[in-house]
Amino acid sequence: MTDSGAESASPPSVELEAIRKRFGPVVALDGVDLEAFSGEVHALVGENGAGKTTLMGVLSGVVRADEGVIRIAGRPVRLAKPRDAWAAGIGMVHQHLTLVPTLTVLENVALGVRSAAWGLRLPFDQVRSRLDALSNETGLSVDPDVVVERLSVGERQRVEILKVLYRDPRVLVLDEPTSVLAPQEVEEFFSVLRGLASEGRTVLLILHKIDEILAVADRVTVLRGGRVVHSGVSDTMDSGSLARLMIGRAVAAHEPPRPSEPGAELVRLEGVSARGSKGEMALRDVHLTVRRGEIVGVAGVDGNGQRELALILAGAESPEFGTVHLPDTVGFIPADRLGEALVPDFDLTQNVALALTEAPRYRQGALLRWGRLRSATARLMDLHGVGAPTPAVRAWQLSGGNQQKLVVGRELMRSQNLLIARNPTRGLDVAAGRFVKDELRRMSRSSAGEEGEDPPGVVVISSDLDEVLELSDRIFVLRRGRLLAVPEDRRTREFVGALMVAHAGDPSE
Amino acid sequence: MLTPGTRVNRLLRFGGLGVALAALLITGVVAVGALVAGGYDPGVALGALVRGAVGSPEQFFSVTLVRSVPLILTGLAVALAFRAGVWNIGAEGQLYAGAMAGVWIGLAAGDLPGWIVVPLVLVVASTAGAVWALVPTLMRLRLGVGEVITTILMNFVAIHLVGYMVHGPLQESRGVFPQTDALAAAARLPALIPGTRLHVGFAVAVLLGVALWLVLRGTVFGFRLRAVGQSPAAARITGRIDGKRVILVTFLASGALAGLAGAMEVSGRTFALYEGLSPGWGYTAIAVALLAGLHPMGVVAVGIMFGALEGGAGAMQREAGIPAAWVSGIEALVILAVLAAGQGRKWLVQTRLERGRPAEASVG
Repeated sequence: MTDSGAESASPPSVELEAIRKRFGPVVALDGVDLEAFSGEVHALVGENGAGKTTLMGVLSGVVRADEGVIRIAGRPVRLAKPRDAWAAGIGMVHQHLTLVPTLTVLENVALGVRSAAWGLRLPFDQVRSRLDALSNETGLSVDPDVVVERLSVGERQRVEILKVLYRDPRVLVLDEPTSVLAPQEVEEFFSVLRGLASEGRTVLLILHKIDEILAVADRVTVLRGGRVVHSGVSDTMDSGSLARLMIGRAVAAHEPPRPSEPGAELVRLEGVSARGSKGEMALRDVHLTVRRGEIVGVAGVDGNGQRELALILAGAESPEFGTVHLPDTVGFIPADRLGEALVPDFDLTQNVALALTEAPRYRQGALLRWGRLRSATARLMDLHGVGAPTPAVRAWQLSGGNQQKLVVGRELMRSQNLLIARNPTRGLDVAAGRFVKDELRRMSRSSAGEEGEDPPGVVVISSDLDEVLELSDRIFVLRRGRLLAVPEDRRTREFVGALMVAHAGDPSE
Repeated sequence: MLTPGTRVNRLLRFGGLGVALAALLITGVVAVGALVAGGYDPGVALGALVRGAVGSPEQFFSVTLVRSVPLILTGLAVALAFRAGVWNIGAEGQLYAGAMAGVWIGLAAGDLPGWIVVPLVLVVASTAGAVWALVPTLMRLRLGVGEVITTILMNFVAIHLVGYMVHGPLQESRGVFPQTDALAAAARLPALIPGTRLHVGFAVAVLLGVALWLVLRGTVFGFRLRAVGQSPAAARITGRIDGKRVILVTFLASGALAGLAGAMEVSGRTFALYEGLSPGWGYTAIAVALLAGLHPMGVVAVGIMFGALEGGAGAMQREAGIPAAWVSGIEALVILAVLAAGQGRKWLVQTRLERGRPAEASVG
């Protein structure tokens, strides 16, 4: 098992042969072959809709393939149920989190553990010590006694990963694990993954960010339109060739941020302090101004006051102390698309209407003007390239990228003054992420095109440092509820990244 | 492009009808089996049930439709609340609160002309129902106490308060029976169809069903109510909707509808208040609302269907010697079948989803 040497000596730990899966007329997987070996970190990349998630579903027993063979360590297996995948030694970390919100971290992990005591008592002590050991070993630290619903999305993902690692799978499958981590944490996390691989496991992961793929993966398999277009060692690739493989054409280098000409003041926060969901001070004495025509970036790891700052800026909550001046309409792109931005069971028109119930154009007294809302939704879908056949489909039926395009378009309809965006490109592929970023930059510079119209201001609150660096005119870091300004001459990945990560024993707290 | 997704949509849309039919079918099979096991002739029993429900215009208008009135009104109360995520299990108590207040004002103001007394009875009873719902509403909004428990407990309070009233302050002037005096003619609901016992309360119930349907469909408030029920977080953060206000208004409106049902009973059918006035309308209402898929027009249809079941019960008892309790049993079976079939539909959709993943497939 250990150090068996050359790949050729042992069969691949995961081998997929000619996997085909069709959903009605749509072919999601069109004869996919994949080989992954123990001891390697293998990245599965491709655009949204390329078939990555379906392929992961096949591997984790959630999606049944129509045709094809799956071999684990050389032996053919049938993965009809998630339990079959577990039995075969495949551990899946889902993109959509699967924790029980009302239980503690410890209880959530213990739920998945088979106990010797006839299932009557969960072995909490045992789970706690192993969880501590795993946390130390992997650097994924989390308080075992906190109730999950009080954790941020990023913290929940750490728990999700720990929960799967707890079962000690031989093949670890991760769907976009880095999207909520700070740069330093990503580095650490990658070394965790490499450590897990070097112990003889296979680490299969879906990644979107090209530099992350190149940094962590030993081998890369690129999917496009349900087929494997390339599979090879990552050393032979660079970011340009990888991007071309993923989207089938060269990506235009993005335009550098044009210097902004900030206009009138839009937002003023003075001495703002607010409590978080646990009653703790989540924001402490925050001062911030935002002007028309500028993008203000707030970098930071989720759970440091991001949620509270965003809700206050969006006008959805009031602070405990301090004064807030906001324009009368504010567009808001929340972090949780299907939880906060959209009602999954509403159709697209209803989801657009949700943000516009106060807008006089779409009301007639107490009535909503559904006709206008429907045509506005159709226009919005055209304008922002929302890929759906009609506005009558439900929000949950769209891919993440299309959901986000709908949200961005809707929030632009809501306000031409101020747009607050939290992690606006999380979970999106390169092209969709590019689209959203371009949209944000374009609107903040829109005075160039539209005469007389003052451009709106934009605040991007994100745990994705690259996104903040790329988009922002001014940068802040939000750490432990304090907003720290980043000087113009220190806008480097290293400096801002170091500011983002709060170290234990910080004397200032 | 979107075949898997639209298939699921169709499943969801027509699933409601399928669920109702499946529930009826299962109930029918089980009921026949139980009748046979109990030594009754199912043909005679079910024949009597049908005759009692729709066998003659007299039965249909004076029994079935009359009994459907409280079922429709409490069913609307429950459906409205559930659409907003308010789990009001207290329609029974709110109905009794309405009946008490309605009888009281009807007796006190019985000398006034009918065009004043009748609306007065209905308004006072609705208000009383809303006030009865106010206690659980405030406990939820102010203290975070779940309304499922508080509304059930308020039912017991109302039921026992009725007992006290008809033995004490509101007891008939003769002081013989534990019931109130009969309402004067002016305080009684006029007939809807002359020569039958069907009163205008039926028309009011149906019109309220239509009105609620239009409110949920077309108005800003109805849309906000649905948003709060579907996703409180999205309603608050994206919709900037004051969820507490929506819950307050919905909860009180739900209580008012149930209180109105109580007024319709005392002012339209019994003309007096006594213990056991309601054979559990407020609980049956939950089954009515769920079977109707929480749709107001569905509530009207299912309410009439359940009224027919109730009407048929009497005939079954008279003609086939089957205790009316059997019909209660059948109603309970319907509730169980609805729950089972509803879960089945969910399961059906979910397995389609897991196999189909239309979210991915729709973008190819």
